[in-house]
Amino acid sequence: MVGYPLMRTPSLLALLASLVFVTAAEDGAQVYNTLCVACHGPDGKGLNGLPPLVGSDWPKGPAARSIKIVLNGMEGPVEVAGKSYNIVMPPQGAVLSDEKIAAALTYVRKAFAGGAGAVTPDEVKVVRAATAQRATPWTAEELLKDHPFPPAKTALKNLVGTMYKGEWKVMPDFSALKPALIEDFNVGVIDPDQSGLKDAFAMVWTGQFDAPVEGKYTFLFDCDDFGALYVGGERIAEVKGIGPVGGRAKEVPVILKKGLTPLRVEYVEFAGQEVVVLGYKGPKDKDYKWLSKSKGGKAGKPAKVRVFIPIQPKDGVAAIYRNFIDNISPRAIGIGFPNGLNIAYSADNLAAELFWNGKFMDGGHHWTDRGAGNEPPAGTNVIKLSSSQGVLLEGSAGDVVRFVREKDEKEWKFSAVKVAAEFKGYDLDKAGNPTFRSAGEGFALSDAWLPEEHSGKAALSRTLKVTGDKAVTILLARDLAVSGPSDGVAEIAGGLLVRAVSGPAPKANANDKSLTLTLKPGETAVLGYSFR
Amino acid sequence: MKNLSLILALVGLAVGVSAAPEKAAKAAKAAKSGKLATVDSIRVAEARQNEFYERVEIPTPAGEVTEVSSIALLPGKKVAIGTRRGDIWVAEGAYDADLSKIKWTKYASNQHEPLGMFWKEGSMYAMQRPEFTRLTDKDGDGRADSFDTVSSQWGVSGDYHEYAFGSDPDKNGDVWMVLCLTGSFHAHAPWRGWAAKITPEGKFIPVASGIRSPGGIGHNDKGDFFYTDNQGVWNGSSSLKWLRAGSFQGNPTGNKSAALANFPAPPEPTSGSRTLAERLKFPEYVPPALILPHGKVGNSPSGVACDMSKGKFGPWESHMLIGEQTASQVQRANLEVVNGLYQGAVFHFLGGFEAGLIPVRMDQEDGTLFVGGSNRGWGSRGSKNFTFERVRFKGKVPFEMHNISARNDGFEVTFTHPVDAAAAADVANYTMDTFTYIYQSSYGSPEVDQTTPTIKSATVSADGLKVRLIVDGLVRGNVHHLALGDIKSKAGETLWHSEGWYTLNEIPAAK
Repeated sequence: MVGYPLMRTPSLLALLASLVFVTAAEDGAQVYNTLCVACHGPDGKGLNGLPPLVGSDWPKGPAARSIKIVLNGMEGPVEVAGKSYNIVMPPQGAVLSDEKIAAALTYVRKAFAGGAGAVTPDEVKVVRAATAQRATPWTAEELLKDHPFPPAKTALKNLVGTMYKGEWKVMPDFSALKPALIEDFNVGVIDPDQSGLKDAFAMVWTGQFDAPVEGKYTFLFDCDDFGALYVGGERIAEVKGIGPVGGRAKEVPVILKKGLTPLRVEYVEFAGQEVVVLGYKGPKDKDYKWLSKSKGGKAGKPAKVRVFIPIQPKDGVAAIYRNFIDNISPRAIGIGFPNGLNIAYSADNLAAELFWNGKFMDGGHHWTDRGAGNEPPAGTNVIKLSSSQGVLLEGSAGDVVRFVREKDEKEWKFSAVKVAAEFKGYDLDKAGNPTFRSAGEGFALSDAWLPEEHSGKAALSRTLKVTGDKAVTILLARDLAVSGPSDGVAEIAGGLLVRAVSGPAPKANANDKSLTLTLKPGETAVLGYSFR
Repeated sequence: MKNLSLILALVGLAVGVSAAPEKAAKAAKAAKSGKLATVDSIRVAEARQNEFYERVEIPTPAGEVTEVSSIALLPGKKVAIGTRRGDIWVAEGAYDADLSKIKWTKYASNQHEPLGMFWKEGSMYAMQRPEFTRLTDKDGDGRADSFDTVSSQWGVSGDYHEYAFGSDPDKNGDVWMVLCLTGSFHAHAPWRGWAAKITPEGKFIPVASGIRSPGGIGHNDKGDFFYTDNQGVWNGSSSLKWLRAGSFQGNPTGNKSAALANFPAPPEPTSGSRTLAERLKFPEYVPPALILPHGKVGNSPSGVACDMSKGKFGPWESHMLIGEQTASQVQRANLEVVNGLYQGAVFHFLGGFEAGLIPVRMDQEDGTLFVGGSNRGWGSRGSKNFTFERVRFKGKVPFEMHNISARNDGFEVTFTHPVDAAAAADVANYTMDTFTYIYQSSYGSPEVDQTTPTIKSATVSADGLKVRLIVDGLVRGNVHHLALGDIKSKAGETLWHSEGWYTLNEIPAAK
């Protein structure tokens, strides 16, 4: 079809030569623009809140890490370019040849990863063979274990961490304690995960701060739970008590000479989240530079770039939130009352399990991106009242079959169990106040909540009513220190008061540190809830 | 057309000059099989859509983020949408010519991602992630005040990917649901990866295993239920699957839940095999009724509706309409039953929607198609964060392949208008290639087992509406891709879409 004379036309030859070149060089771009572009975007900056390649450490460094991600995909929590994600990247190993993966990664590394080296089909082949048994996507933790990012270079030099095991609510005298671990982590980054522990431990980091010039340095320090920062042998900041990062961050200016100044961080984790935030601004810096794995925002809050979408009562009508709420079973129903008190009811356990005050919920997490994970209440004084079945029968588990799961070492095991009752739904009155309904064989329970005021304080009135022919015990709190009831008022650890207003009164049980209420058929009890 | 061939010729030549002759052969083959033309032809087809269909964006409540996840029809020409944020809104005036007067009322707030909603006897029913709920407005103020949990028997681990899609009720009043796997790879809670039905009394009855990652569920005109399942592990491509009661749908990840109800253990297929080989081994494995070839037809199918509008939406009575998230399209498919299995052909149909489509809802009474969607978390060809749209037939029937039906020795293609017999009888105007996918535990699959059957003859029926293709080389189990050349209608119209993909699960016996 194409005759010899055409080949002699120089301009056409040039055109053909350029087409050859373009065809070969665009192969990777073509793969990228067919498969990767829907999430990572044409410019590599990520679409619709999905992880970017530009500005990320992931596509840089050892090619094997990137090849593994493309071959088998990736899932679970991951930090990319300073932002947290928890999504699935689908594997492409079964769809793409070694050549195509190599071309796509070469393109990504060249176009979006600042000229990280090309990837060859042979490299892909080797990794593919080595990971042939892998059936599920990788997690960030697994990948970073085998292919870590290069140690971060910060202004912290010669950093050594010392870990102590124990439970403290105030700062211990570290000189009197026996360390459980002393390690030079070979990084200039402070990270509580270096302890390998979750709760009940303390860490002390010592090292030197390398000031590039003489002048004023402002340090930002915050932690969960508490700690202290020493610069030049002097304690310049302290965060006291048990609590989260955010509200207690300290910003302290100090004058430093050029060169090394001793720096020490003392940190105690009691329970819950473990976070240390340490940053500094030098004489010429506009923004904080971070010496800790957790980065702080202006007020020392973790620097997640996220919209706050307040969900709150409006025009005197309570707000509802049905989604995954932190520290309660997946079938959660949050109710935010107009008087600033909030509850989360578990439709799995038929119990009001969380109680807090202040802000109700933040939708900015579930309502942006893919909405992965649990959202903690947005307010304060969150009290976890119970985490087991909340409706119980005397002498019998009950007759309602539920399918449940339990983790046995690594595997999830499923079973069918019998419980007393199951969730039947709820009604909302005009002001959005809920009445939760549950029922079992031969009885039904209604559980109604209304905002009220008691002794000048915001309170919630709770009316529990049993119909049918069975006596029912309702779990109000468990595994919590309960004092009383005295004069009809029980105090639950955390400062929550439960008042018996009418009907049968709650009873404290020392053996399982619980507070329960037993109602006979037809009985109604009214309780009042408020903070001390 | 000439320009296009020139460019293709140049590309073919350019590659030919390079030192990789096999690459040239591949490119030439791709060009011939229509692979390169596909993207282009979709754009051309979308440009012509306005001749036949009117696509209109329906204004959603001002200032609200309405990422449409469900659409329900209410009496009195009201339409409700459910959103991914969990709000339910009811519109009056969504059918009107002047949509500026549309009135929205909020029926419920912050439910848990309803994916499947319908109205029945004065209540809204919504399949939420943790439960199937009846929402009733007892005091008549327009807002639901009673929320009855009809069933919540399946496991929920808290993983964002554990979507639950619900159908309209079947003739017994049962609602069918499909439960996505945990993260689409695991089963970390009871009944993940299963389909179940919920009776009006709230009984939860698992009906099929083997599900991966559904995008929607619906039934055809015979009342059989189908769902879309997305490409991934054990799914070489996305597909439309028939939920025959007691069936296994191909993905064994959720098999362990069978023991909860003392069901026999579902099949444990062999990875690296083919769907045909495995389903012959395991009779309960129902193969996909319709493969939606990945990248060619779409990337992520979603909502399912059947056109039963008796011609009000065009001549597609009993055809399935399938939403497509990534490409922001609606595909059309004809299904037939051969040797007890559903199979049929899928065609590109409607496109240009403003976001990734999720629900597809047909008003069978008046032939209005409502679609909605969202771009959050997954990108699409549409450019908006969310959309709610309606499509109506303008009355002019496009010249299309209406359906493809399998025969013992080939296919019968039915057209919407009589064809120009000379061109339609020319075998050079038909190309066919076939392929399938590896049935495997890893994610997706390349196209494999490719063949190129020979079209031996094309015979036009007396009325000009049907062309009987005698094909040498039908491959049981393969997708048969048919691309038409320059075939026009008797009146001179060109084809709106020129390709169809027929999933040949079974070759019918000779009549």
